[in-house]
Amino acid sequence: MKRMIKNLGRVFEPKSVAIVGASATPNKIGNVLVRNFLDTKFPGAVYPVNPKYPELFGLKCYAKVSDIPGKVDCVIVATPAETVPGVMRDCADKKVGGVVILSGGFEEVNRNDLAQKLREIAEASNIPVVGPNCLGVFNPYTKVDSIFLPMYKLERPKAGSIAFVTQSGAVGSTVVDLMAYYGVGLSKFISYGNGTILDESDYLEYLMQDEKTKTIILYLEGVKDGRKLLAAMKKVNKVKPIIALKAGKGAGGQAAARSHTGNIAGSYLAYNAAFKQAKVAEADGIDEVFDFVKIFNQPKPKGNRMGVITNGGGMGVLTADYIESEGLALAQFSEETKKELAEILPAYGTVANPLDLVADAGVEAYEKAIGVMMKDPNIDGLIVIILTQTPPIDERIIHVLTKVLDAQTKPIATISVGGTYTEVYRKILESKGVPSYSSPRAAVKAMERLVVYSKYCRQLGKK
Amino acid sequence: MTLVEDFSLLEKHGFKLLPYYLAKNEADALKAAKKIGYPVALKIVSPEVEHKTDIGGVRITLRNEEMLRNAYKEIMQNANGRKVDGILVQKMARKGVELIIGGKKDPQFGHMVVLGLGGIYVEIFRDISARICPLVASDVDEMVAELKVHPLLEGARGKKPVNKKALEALVLRMCRFMAEEDIKEMDLNPVVFDERGCDIVDARFSR
Repeated sequence: MKRMIKNLGRVFEPKSVAIVGASATPNKIGNVLVRNFLDTKFPGAVYPVNPKYPELFGLKCYAKVSDIPGKVDCVIVATPAETVPGVMRDCADKKVGGVVILSGGFEEVNRNDLAQKLREIAEASNIPVVGPNCLGVFNPYTKVDSIFLPMYKLERPKAGSIAFVTQSGAVGSTVVDLMAYYGVGLSKFISYGNGTILDESDYLEYLMQDEKTKTIILYLEGVKDGRKLLAAMKKVNKVKPIIALKAGKGAGGQAAARSHTGNIAGSYLAYNAAFKQAKVAEADGIDEVFDFVKIFNQPKPKGNRMGVITNGGGMGVLTADYIESEGLALAQFSEETKKELAEILPAYGTVANPLDLVADAGVEAYEKAIGVMMKDPNIDGLIVIILTQTPPIDERIIHVLTKVLDAQTKPIATISVGGTYTEVYRKILESKGVPSYSSPRAAVKAMERLVVYSKYCRQLGKK
Repeated sequence: MTLVEDFSLLEKHGFKLLPYYLAKNEADALKAAKKIGYPVALKIVSPEVEHKTDIGGVRITLRNEEMLRNAYKEIMQNANGRKVDGILVQKMARKGVELIIGGKKDPQFGHMVVLGLGGIYVEIFRDISARICPLVASDVDEMVAELKVHPLLEGARGKKPVNKKALEALVLRMCRFMAEEDIKEMDLNPVVFDERGCDIVDARFSR
């Protein structure tokens, strides 16, 4: 298995890609796949494979993988399930780097016999197999892309540091689309479907070693080997934070209403326990995945004491409420901070946490207040509320906030609540990597997860 | 397995159960109570009864022979013709916080432990916390901290905090027991904790 995981490098960084089931018929998977490789100007060789055609899109088309002259790193398979074991055997003979099987029709329709054949060939040849029954892989750095959805319909995210491992192709593709939309940079996308040969735990191990990946999103429905997952999560989360989303909580939830332990401990409870034991941040829904992803690119706070800045009192109070209920604390400013903040505020303002700069506050007041709080040792992180509706706030605030990020000393979460105008602001901030939230609750909850993870990392350091 | 066999196996694995005796008749019960020391509780042991309290099969805080005799008769009457293996005479548990400690073998994750406040609270508030075995002591501390009722265990309203070391030891022992005996499901319910330690009042398990 170790060698297989290592061999995944040839799937994600291939110099040559073969597409089995390449097709001339528009909208067929094998057609979209080849087109996508050509459209993104994939820098390596692309080999369509289909005995029906002598050539396709102006490329020479091969009858089988072993007919291709020279090395083949990554093979993408989109032919019917019955044909796949034959393709796999051919790939093993050719000694390809790895195989991505998009085709369905295996365990999910009780064809365990076909799945078993794939397993035998893969294990004998040490060829890593992604899938079957999945969307496969996408690496924005190398442009290898087996997501068989047209680019104009599903935007691909820019290259970045977030890896995404997903059991479901549907959830996978929508999250990828949203990543592109929010401007979140992706390092590796892995949709593993049935996970017949390599499973979620193996991909976590791979991503732990991957230089481009800093944070991992893991979407699960069910796993075959829970103990393996727990061990992998424990190992990997120490090095790179994992954000998990688990679907299929229903049965466990209902059973929890029963007092007998056998029923209380529905299977979701076991997943929840495993996430807690591995100190993995469990998100409640896709929106929360993004809330957490944004904050995990921030510096790790040394504690839970938050400094809050606002230009609207009420929003500061709401934020303070969540800080309390989510287990964070409002920082006690140092004497020096109090003195410096008093100079920023107008005569009628009072120095307190949350610090209300009042609606007259311009970008300069924010810049100064953030600067003061950043150097106060009593403050571990900042929550900055910017109500963009007030007259003095203009686009220079974006510059101020990105400058703060460049300094990389304390984590910062910003909150801007509002309509169309505000949302445009938020989108720009997000594309600059400034964590921006549309509600106090979302911002505080995300910050709390970062605080918990940072505490865990500090404890590991001490051990 | 019978209740006594179950209890003996638990004791063999180091679980400290409250002193008990399975009495076959009233005189037997009186003798046992004298030996165990009052106050005691009587509990019906019957394969036909799952929830003992529901049929009036439990009488607690029996302080003397007279109370015990009356309680014995009442329980036998309430049994109402059901098959009775005997009446369990058990030392009364200490007063304190009642917890339920459950365990089960999850098909994917294997043995796991569930902690919750005993009685009706588990049902109504779903206030439980779970971990996958094996655990370390700090896992047990985290489980306690996760419970909404944890202030109760930390000594709310002038009460002393419960003995965390006893809780840790009990949970870790349960993990070992489930692994060694390949237990499918088990419940220690309730276990009563105070600042000095704990009493396991009832236990059941299946393989």
